[in-house]
Amino acid sequence: MSDTQDKQHGHVVETTKRKRSVKHKLTWLYDHVRNEWQIYLMLLPTVVWMILFLYKPMYGLQIAFKDYSIFRGVAASPWVGWEHFQTLFDNDQFIRAIGNTIKISALNLIFGFPAPIILALMFNEVLHAVYKRTAQTIVYLPHFISTVIIAGIVTTAFSPTAGVVNTIMGWFGLDSIYFLTRPEWFRPIFVGTGIWQEAGFGSIVFLAAIAGVNPSLYESAVVDGASRWQMMWKITIPSILPTIIIMLIIRIGNIMEVSFELIILLYQPATWSTADVVNTFVYRQGLQSGQYDVAAAAGLFNAVVAFVLVMTANTLSRRYSRTSLW
Amino acid sequence: MKLKTLVLAMFASSAMTSVAMAEDDYKIVDKPLELSIQMNHKRYPVYKEDWPVEQEARALTNIHLKDVTVGANMRTDSENTGKTEALNLMLASGKIPDIVGSSRIKDFVNQYGPEGAFLPLNDLIDEHAPNLKKFFEEKPHIKAALSAADGNMYYIPYLPDGKYGRAYFIRYDWLDKLGLKVPETVDEFEATLRAFKTQDPNGNGEADEVPYFARQWPELIRLVTLWDGRSSGSDTYHDFMVEDGKIAHPYAGEGYREGIKNLARWYAEGLVDAEIFTRGSSSREFLLSENLGGATHDWFASTSGYNRLSSEIDGFSFKAFAPPASPSGARIEEHRRIPIKPDGWAIGGTNKHPVETIKYFDFWFTEKGRRLANFGAEGKQYDMVDGKAIFKDSVLNSDEPVNNQLYQVGSQLQARGYFQDYDYEKQWSNKFALEGIALYDEGDYLIDQFLGVAFKPEEQKVYDKHWPTVRDYMLERQQTWILGTGDVEAEWDDYMDQLNKKGLQDVLDVMTTAYKRQYGS
Repeated sequence: MSDTQDKQHGHVVETTKRKRSVKHKLTWLYDHVRNEWQIYLMLLPTVVWMILFLYKPMYGLQIAFKDYSIFRGVAASPWVGWEHFQTLFDNDQFIRAIGNTIKISALNLIFGFPAPIILALMFNEVLHAVYKRTAQTIVYLPHFISTVIIAGIVTTAFSPTAGVVNTIMGWFGLDSIYFLTRPEWFRPIFVGTGIWQEAGFGSIVFLAAIAGVNPSLYESAVVDGASRWQMMWKITIPSILPTIIIMLIIRIGNIMEVSFELIILLYQPATWSTADVVNTFVYRQGLQSGQYDVAAAAGLFNAVVAFVLVMTANTLSRRYSRTSLW
Repeated sequence: MKLKTLVLAMFASSAMTSVAMAEDDYKIVDKPLELSIQMNHKRYPVYKEDWPVEQEARALTNIHLKDVTVGANMRTDSENTGKTEALNLMLASGKIPDIVGSSRIKDFVNQYGPEGAFLPLNDLIDEHAPNLKKFFEEKPHIKAALSAADGNMYYIPYLPDGKYGRAYFIRYDWLDKLGLKVPETVDEFEATLRAFKTQDPNGNGEADEVPYFARQWPELIRLVTLWDGRSSGSDTYHDFMVEDGKIAHPYAGEGYREGIKNLARWYAEGLVDAEIFTRGSSSREFLLSENLGGATHDWFASTSGYNRLSSEIDGFSFKAFAPPASPSGARIEEHRRIPIKPDGWAIGGTNKHPVETIKYFDFWFTEKGRRLANFGAEGKQYDMVDGKAIFKDSVLNSDEPVNNQLYQVGSQLQARGYFQDYDYEKQWSNKFALEGIALYDEGDYLIDQFLGVAFKPEEQKVYDKHWPTVRDYMLERQQTWILGTGDVEAEWDDYMDQLNKKGLQDVLDVMTTAYKRQYGS
């Protein structure tokens, strides 16, 4: 670039404020990229990744509206409009699956979301370093165990003849229960397992947030004679509130995504009435029997609901707490 | 390494001699021809070109198979979805190899064959494959079962030989100990199981015996046959059946209702493993070796094998007994080996050598090809004795089970279209299994199986739309009834209403139409 061009640009930037034409914007962008190209270079791999693995596959979403045949391919399969959605919503098992998804997610949110926060606050109060580290390691561990193993542990623990739960109940003279075939027990077991597995690992992000709180706040609180309980309520929690809200928004976006591998491993036909969620329904009826188009329709529905939920949560949060993802 | 070369050299020379002997009979092309193959099966995720069986087939036919398998997948589950995934992946990749072999290939080729992904085989067989032609002419019902809705055949199947699959097994030593005789009727069977539960046959002073157990919970449902019900029409669980020339579903029958009512009672009384739905595939191993299990319904060969436990458990004797008679006096064994599997191989639609390929498929139906497919290579795995293939002692006495040894050389390859020879299995079956089979042969307990139907696209649509929902509903009710959270007697009418509301009758109608078209009755 020559000097004259540079001067011209300088002139343009000045005038943009008054006259924002497309051309000026483009020139400004060009200039900006030219100056900051290292940063854009660093951004590039992520952008390419997003395009390849997130945007390009969206092309395939259209099979939700087509009579899809793998051999004919996406483009050559004929359009069928809303037929697959019609099929889904005519099916009371699908409706039930939506209901179960929401109920399990709500339970997860109510009991599963606060658990890592409480755990992090508790760890924060532990003063003995060795004890603290040991305890943390123990609660992180289940996160690293494969879902299949977790399901095996749960199945064994709740077994009616040899399971530890029924054995303990036996000490108190209670009859043994075949938990995993009881619809009313499925959700508590599933949500409980989730908390046991993930609460420890989930607490890391909150611990990090707590570590970022300015120590001088606590120091002045101590000078003012605040108790630990008061410090937690008045300093720690308000300080990590933005983190909590961001995590909550992300969580709400995942409401339709229940960890269905664990459900598939734990559920039985007898517990489908409470355990069958949208993803397991899609797996059983769509993928196992090769109906990719119907499965895509269910997946698309899921995504749209999740999108609406995230948008709502984000907007509400921005309005009332001024914290938001974007 | 030296030994390996030596063996290879020996093998090469033996292969060469057999070529010299049979050159004219089996050679398909003068110059070696390479055909690409995709092969996926639970025991071999790819086609191995160095399998001795492949080497010998090469030498004989001059056709070389070249492995191009995509999506190699060893995952196994009851539905064999891993194999279907591999096939779908291959099709989605847009390149179809010359030959495609897989388990669960039937529905796949019947769906995509008419669209052009696979070649119809009827004319090719008529013109170029005398052995296949003869085979199908002798067995017209097999040809009917193979056909797609357009009347064409799109794959050459793996055809199992031998009739027997599962049988009822019971602890004979426990019967002796309690002074009971082998149960002949369902009532006696019930009394026997109750005695197992209450009279402590394992003698440890605790009522920890599990009278009836099963590795797969549908084997509990199988017991409805003891009350004249049915649990499946084929060797696949929950399958349809043929009744008076029409397709019906066993889970909508009166006998099933009666059977479930009684099984719920058995379950409540503890005559059935309380954990039957969650104990899983290791339950047979666990319950037998812990001296807890009393009776089951499982495969002849593998279950008989547990008699080896007699060295650890005094007097242990777990043998087959004839199916107990139902209240109406019928004694049936519902499970049998199906004469034709949905496994086998097909010719890809873009294959440039269809004639050579069908001749190659035909080779495996010649006497020599069939022996190769069943027993491995002559002189290595077997010798010819009086015109019969007899396994070498080194094969029979190895620590490795005979079938595993055969899989490793490329024999008994169930994703290859071939006709199994039961003699291969008989040579290494244990004596308890052979005794049991003789017992079942004598009583003639087997029943005919439903071999499946091929749909037209619009029929397929009806089936796909309703059947998964209906099936889920059936299984859900079934389990709640057994577990006692529901009552089959009280809920039966509502259940039948729901089945019809969910479209069972529509499914049965399209299946009956397809059945009549295919089997012409």
